[in-house]
Amino acid sequence: MRSCGFEFQAMSSVCEIRLDGDDEAVLASAARRAIAEVRRIETTYSRYRADSIVSRINAAAGTGVPTEVDDETSALLDFAGQLHALSDGLFDITSGVLRRVWDFKCRRLPDPDRLGELLPLMGWQQVEREGYEVHLAQAGMELDFGGFGKEYAADRAMSVLADAGQRHGFVNLGGDIRVLGPRADGSAWRFGIQHPRCDADTIASVEMTEGALASSGDYERYFELDGQRYCHILDPRTGWPVRGWTSVSVTAPACVAAGALSTIAMLKGEHALDFLETQRASFFAVDLALQTFHHEQPDARRFDHGALP
Amino acid sequence: MAATDRRAARADKAGAIIAAALSLPGVMAPLKVFAESAPEHGEVAVKYLQYKDSQPGLERIKVKAPSVYVLAPLSPKWAVEGSLVSDSVSGATPRYHTAISGATPRMNDERVAGDVKVTRYEERSAYSVGLSKSKEHDYDSSAISFDAGFSSDDNNRTWNVGVGYASDKISSTNDITLHERKRTAELMVGVTQAWTANDLLQANLTFNSGRGYYSDPYKTPDVRPDKRTQAILLTRWNHHFPELASTLRTSYRYYRDTFGIRAHTLGADWVQPVGAMVTVTPSLRLYSQSAAKFYFDPVYDPDVGAPYPPGYFTNPPEFISADQRLSAFGAVTLGLKLAVKLTPDWSADLKGERYEQRSKWRVGGEGSPGLDPFSATFLQVGVNRRF
Repeated sequence: MRSCGFEFQAMSSVCEIRLDGDDEAVLASAARRAIAEVRRIETTYSRYRADSIVSRINAAAGTGVPTEVDDETSALLDFAGQLHALSDGLFDITSGVLRRVWDFKCRRLPDPDRLGELLPLMGWQQVEREGYEVHLAQAGMELDFGGFGKEYAADRAMSVLADAGQRHGFVNLGGDIRVLGPRADGSAWRFGIQHPRCDADTIASVEMTEGALASSGDYERYFELDGQRYCHILDPRTGWPVRGWTSVSVTAPACVAAGALSTIAMLKGEHALDFLETQRASFFAVDLALQTFHHEQPDARRFDHGALP
Repeated sequence: MAATDRRAARADKAGAIIAAALSLPGVMAPLKVFAESAPEHGEVAVKYLQYKDSQPGLERIKVKAPSVYVLAPLSPKWAVEGSLVSDSVSGATPRYHTAISGATPRMNDERVAGDVKVTRYEERSAYSVGLSKSKEHDYDSSAISFDAGFSSDDNNRTWNVGVGYASDKISSTNDITLHERKRTAELMVGVTQAWTANDLLQANLTFNSGRGYYSDPYKTPDVRPDKRTQAILLTRWNHHFPELASTLRTSYRYYRDTFGIRAHTLGADWVQPVGAMVTVTPSLRLYSQSAAKFYFDPVYDPDVGAPYPPGYFTNPPEFISADQRLSAFGAVTLGLKLAVKLTPDWSADLKGERYEQRSKWRVGGEGSPGLDPFSATFLQVGVNRRF
């Protein structure tokens, strides 16, 4: 019995597929198929490729000409709509336009007038859908699947591995993890949760034999200016970064669920923990004072405090 | 779009986001109970079954049956499995209808049965050959079967075909001159479809055609046709509730044969994990059948008396039976199974079922009159080791 890790770069992240099995060639072939699936999703929903479905929808914004989408895109748009409704509008895949004014590399605060001009271009209610046709009501609007694309890819990659007959392993796309099944000996995998203020350290860990783990935090992409941290998670109501939590990690049956729950929790601020409990999520949250809060659903694996052994 | 979102908003209920995520395509691996790959682990299971049936005033049959099952993967492509069971049967059954006075003398019998099946797994298909043999002092049975399964490219659909042949030898302690045979052939086709990530649908159609001795040498009067064809349609729907981690398994079975029996079975099991180690499965089965054409009600000849129907000697029927199992009745089975996963490799289970049969419980027609109710209890305990 071997344990093989297959590392690759995708979706601007370091990714790994780990599989336990007898025959390394079989594991490698399954991993190749799963990596191909990750790359397919990356290409299909990339904003950077002019021919991607997302680019075509965005290019047709405000023209009155709807874009026809396939089953998969349609299902993802349904999901985006449900997340918008269930988050009281906080999770909004039209808020990607804020990237035009928030530059985390140049560490600059946006010009308030320019930010103000962007707000009317946001809002899921301006996404017009009829059957398989999609149209963005105003020119300049954008859809961005980045809010759940990586998590969705982790789930799909896991399904490809299962389809290829694999039972033991996990998919880790830059910290968005979907477990295929326990180690070959039946034991659990242990995943560390990054310390939000110390890059090289973990603040907690969790053992898993199935399901998914995803984290959101103010440490992923941010800049500091005059002692204030500005992170990449932006509130669509104001266009400004959220404050309140340094990190929220969630375990759920699927990675898209874990990812959406952790992001929405970051956006919910002081209501985050109530929200997560209502959504029956198991979570590990760290506030600005680095105080930790966790809650496990019955049957869920416990989050363990402290760095990985 | 707007309507969907409003519905979702109203459904601002526990776990709504997880439920929405699980409905995305390809997010949950399909329920592939039928993937065409050789099992990775071997398995040994030892079980002990106790069965007892009764009617008012008569304890009928008791069965004690220890069994052992072994599954051994030989290579990634081959697996062999086999089982051995030894039954000891004791008790008495009515010779006709539910007449206690006419019950057979108390008997004791031993049965030994075994089967072995070899399966070859290919990328998207699997082929198996099975042999089985069963022996008791008045009944020998040998059977052979071939099965093949083919999966679609996405593994969401599997087709199954199977053929089988059985040859039985029948004798009787009642009649040492009785040496009869029965031969049956069977054809099965089936399809299993993963409908969504949480729904599995299955339909199987089986035809079975036999010739030979179908009568029961321990019943009088009992003369049955020497040909029987059976057709069975079995449909199943399993639905998994991810929020509850439970599975509902439902089934409907339709049976008809050339004896004239038509039967319907509705079944439901609820598989509920409790904590990480225990699974509790309550089950309910409802059954109803019509009588065989040659079954006669317990109304006897006024001159000769039981067990002969009126006119039996003046105008003897070609076929006749007073076997309660061929009457029209309905039945309910309630069951409970408790399975405990002690370690990743060791598990144990305990299963109990209670079966109650009544003529008046027949659905869609009158049940056969004049029969006593029939009950059975079934208890099984097992230990399973994976290696």
